[in-house]
Amino acid sequence: MRPIFTFFLLAIFCLAGQLSGASAADVDFQSTDDDFADFFDDEFVDATFDTMPSSEDAEARAATPGGANVEKAEPSRKAVLQDSDEEDGVVEDDDEFEHFQDEEEFEGYEGGEKPVATDQKTEPKLNIPNLPLHFRTHWDSYWMEMLMIAGLLAYFSNFFAGKAKNARLAQLWFSTHKALLDENFALVGDDGKQENESPGLMKESESLYTLWCSGRTCCEGMLVELKMIKRQDVVSLVAGLMRPQLDQVHIKIELTRGVMDAFVFAVGSKKTITKVFKEYADLSKFCSLVSKPEDRYNLPSGFGVLSEVPEATSAILESRVITALNKYQSYIDYLHISDQFSGLVQQEEGTTLKQPETKCMLLAGFNLPKHAEMETIKPLLLLIFYLMERLKTYRMSKEGKAKSDKNRLRVEEEFLKSTHAARAEAAAQRREDKRKQEKERVLAEEDPEKQRRWEQKEQKRQAKKNAPKMKRLAVKSL
Amino acid sequence: MSITVDPRRKEKIQRYKAPKNQTQGGGANEDMMPDYMNILGMVFSMCGLMMKLKWCAWFALYCSCISFASSRVSDDAKQVLSSFMLSVSAVVMSYLQNPAPMTPPWASAT
Repeated sequence: MRPIFTFFLLAIFCLAGQLSGASAADVDFQSTDDDFADFFDDEFVDATFDTMPSSEDAEARAATPGGANVEKAEPSRKAVLQDSDEEDGVVEDDDEFEHFQDEEEFEGYEGGEKPVATDQKTEPKLNIPNLPLHFRTHWDSYWMEMLMIAGLLAYFSNFFAGKAKNARLAQLWFSTHKALLDENFALVGDDGKQENESPGLMKESESLYTLWCSGRTCCEGMLVELKMIKRQDVVSLVAGLMRPQLDQVHIKIELTRGVMDAFVFAVGSKKTITKVFKEYADLSKFCSLVSKPEDRYNLPSGFGVLSEVPEATSAILESRVITALNKYQSYIDYLHISDQFSGLVQQEEGTTLKQPETKCMLLAGFNLPKHAEMETIKPLLLLIFYLMERLKTYRMSKEGKAKSDKNRLRVEEEFLKSTHAARAEAAAQRREDKRKQEKERVLAEEDPEKQRRWEQKEQKRQAKKNAPKMKRLAVKSL
Repeated sequence: MSITVDPRRKEKIQRYKAPKNQTQGGGANEDMMPDYMNILGMVFSMCGLMMKLKWCAWFALYCSCISFASSRVSDDAKQVLSSFMLSVSAVVMSYLQNPAPMTPPWASAT
């Protein structure tokens, strides 16, 4: 992002430099235009119906480029000089033509002496130019701008209201669950700084709050993310009308290695399950979608199951969990248990040579109730703690273990296969680097005999590298 | 579901570490809205400045507002601020050059 910024800022400075010159010129031009516009509006248009021009009207005509034909009139010139304090632009025009009135200036020329007779019966010919629309209008013509500013004000008022509501909801969740969290964790709320300055919820953005808890058996830590609807952003609210969203809480628990047996499992609403099946690497590699989970595990309809080892799945989905799933069906989005959690599916798998690090994780996503009745979802946190205890005690049978081991071996082999070419390339690169280093080392030495020997050796090696192919060809041809 | 034994372990406390890599662990629903709006706001600002399109400048202002509203606390505040200032300058410059009110697109033909 930063290079783009510097580029844009440079562009702005250049542009601002250019525009300041241009705009100054424009403004000058505009101001003269506006002067004329004012004039056209008031005095000039009145003059068209005046058959007996007064001295003021004549002065006005003298000031306009359109009225230049009456400029020679003597009385008007005097009037202009009298009123010159009031009209700025008029004074400059007069002195320029003073010599026309000078009798000695044009000798023998009679025409100049006669004063121009103003025809009092006919109306003076005046051209009223087509004025642009905007010069006649006033503040009401800026209604689009006013609309824009009103929109901005509405946006910001909604921003503050939405922000406050999200903060209130998050705080409500925290205060409801605090006692339970305190009972289970030695540390509740941590901001990661040297001294824990603000134990409690951390604000990541106006719609995302996090809470870190640690110091419990079975797990290293628990991260709670309260993902609210973006109430502070009107655009997201409008988008939410089309695709309704819910306030959600995501719980991520990193289990201690070895606490749980090796298996991957997920249960959740069908929509979420199909989504995470594609997105998460462990689910897509190890699991398969269970058909008809309603019949097999007595799950409520609308839930989907991803299972690696069937016996582990049925052990997790025992009667208590099924009861909880039935009771809180609308609040449970997903439960995901994995000993091979490595985050999202990597897009460019060929380029990474090492298998991604895996963790034992227990993840859960719950929907928050619509009317902020946080007490109703409190048992869901108990369900999480129960699952942790269950994972600690549950051990798979021999067959189950064999199956999960086989699966892990298969995934590893697949990974090695997919990265074979890249690894071969990397090995070749390493060899090449090593040779280069050796060459440099030999060249750095001052003993020419050694260098010669090394070169001979290198030549031999090259010859040997090329030779076998030729030999093999020769053998084949025979 | 009640737990009888105290599960708390003081010696197991681990301090919070901000996730270094967003794709690891929690990047599934990572919000890209502020970044997109930032870029869009810049494009609109430049259009507003270069092509003297007032509506572009106004849109840029809106984009930077959205970007500000949905930005993370850990995000660079300078970035949001510069985008905001750029869009404001686009609006100001376009009205300095031509103080005429903005015409709605359906009235531009007349």
